Amino acid sequence: MKAEVAMLILPLVFVAVIFQFTPLITRRGIFFSATVDPEFPHSADGRRVLRSYRWQAALWAILAIGLQLVLSPRHPLTAILPMLLMIAGSALSYWLKFREVHTHYGQRRPEIRQAELSVPPARERFNAWLWIPPFAALALTAAYLQLHWNQLPERFPVHWGADGQPNRWSSREPLTVFAPVVIGAGMNLVMLGLAWLFSQLSRNTIMRRITVRLLEVLLYPLTLTFIIVALLPLGLVVPVWLIPAIILTCVAGLIFWSYRQIVAPAIADAVPEPQSDSYWKAGMFYYNPNDPAIFVAKRVGIGYTVNFANKMCWLVLAGILLLGLLPAALGVLAAKK
Amino acid sequence: MTDTLTLRIDLDSSIPAGRQIVDGLRILLVSGKLSPGSELPSVRRMAMDLGVHFNTVAEAYRTLADEGWLHLHHGRAARVVCRDAPNPTMDQMDEFGHRLRALIAEMLAKGIPAAKLQDDMRVAAEELES
Repeated sequence: MKAEVAMLILPLVFVAVIFQFTPLITRRGIFFSATVDPEFPHSADGRRVLRSYRWQAALWAILAIGLQLVLSPRHPLTAILPMLLMIAGSALSYWLKFREVHTHYGQRRPEIRQAELSVPPARERFNAWLWIPPFAALALTAAYLQLHWNQLPERFPVHWGADGQPNRWSSREPLTVFAPVVIGAGMNLVMLGLAWLFSQLSRNTIMRRITVRLLEVLLYPLTLTFIIVALLPLGLVVPVWLIPAIILTCVAGLIFWSYRQIVAPAIADAVPEPQSDSYWKAGMFYYNPNDPAIFVAKRVGIGYTVNFANKMCWLVLAGILLLGLLPAALGVLAAKK
Repeated sequence: MTDTLTLRIDLDSSIPAGRQIVDGLRILLVSGKLSPGSELPSVRRMAMDLGVHFNTVAEAYRTLADEGWLHLHHGRAARVVCRDAPNPTMDQMDEFGHRLRALIAEMLAKGIPAAKLQDDMRVAAEELES
């Protein structure tokens, strides 16, 4: 198998594994986004539903990998079509399981809402000792590049193919030399900005604490990646698998840590999220016109989703998309120079 | 465990959310758990925590401000103020007497004995006055 095809199949396998475990990353009393008896997932019916979903998700993964092998690596849709097929198929399977669990085994809990009367309201504390070092490391990298400016080659690679060979080059200019550092700082700011938004615009739940901490810790593999890329023109040699390995290891570790926090039975939210399953369309999309919250803790998986009934959510989504695209646009700009 | 003061409402209840907010806060104010000088969360924060519309919370705050419990100032947190016990009018006493009779009738209709009602009222009054 060509290295190019292998590099396209690897993300499919990674996402397929995530889909296999996604239903397990949930609070006690929630199964496939439906409210159930906390012991139901361990019952015979619970295990049967999970097994059935897993087989379906595995089938979608096999179909996606098959499509990947059939499509030419040069085909413009090769990079996204198989992934889209797997995500859409697995989401469909998930929705069907949500309906089954909600209809046959669902429970209804009273919609008791609770507000903290403390002022100022409890917010997540941002640990400066956690988020300042990545920015400091990027600043030091920039200073190091500046000090060794004369050692930088006139032309250096800025993009590599799946086979690890450079396929795009750039000349020695400030925009291109410092681009990885600037993009890294931008990405870090986006992560911190998201963490700040969640801390301000969401309820005080265990998910908020996990998500904010997770975003802070994710700054480290991100920063390390951009530092390695920034130092490559100076002759730094790293194996092609190193950066994906760092990111995957960190993500896997963080998912495991978050999972342990979420499933812990003793943890109660200071301000619980709304309880009714009726707010969760297809088990995945939160839609509650009476709820002024923009961000709502996901029922399954880690992190937040938006309240699609709140018009402000579209503004927030557009802002996040723009912020996410900005570093990429800078990268393309720098590569063209 | 934290001893943070909390307000709970039941969105499934037939009692409107705004009324529940007013009642819940008034209990805390009368009992002294919310003392003069305390600040309440902003309308936005309270509405988000309770999952109700901003106007519902704003209206509840205005009701309590009209009763003399809160001082509202645009752009600032609602603050609990020192309030002298007002002299109830005859009309007000009649209204409360009527509401109490209606409540007692409803409870008796559901089989709750009168003796228990008396005990519950005495305990509640002692708790709120202490």
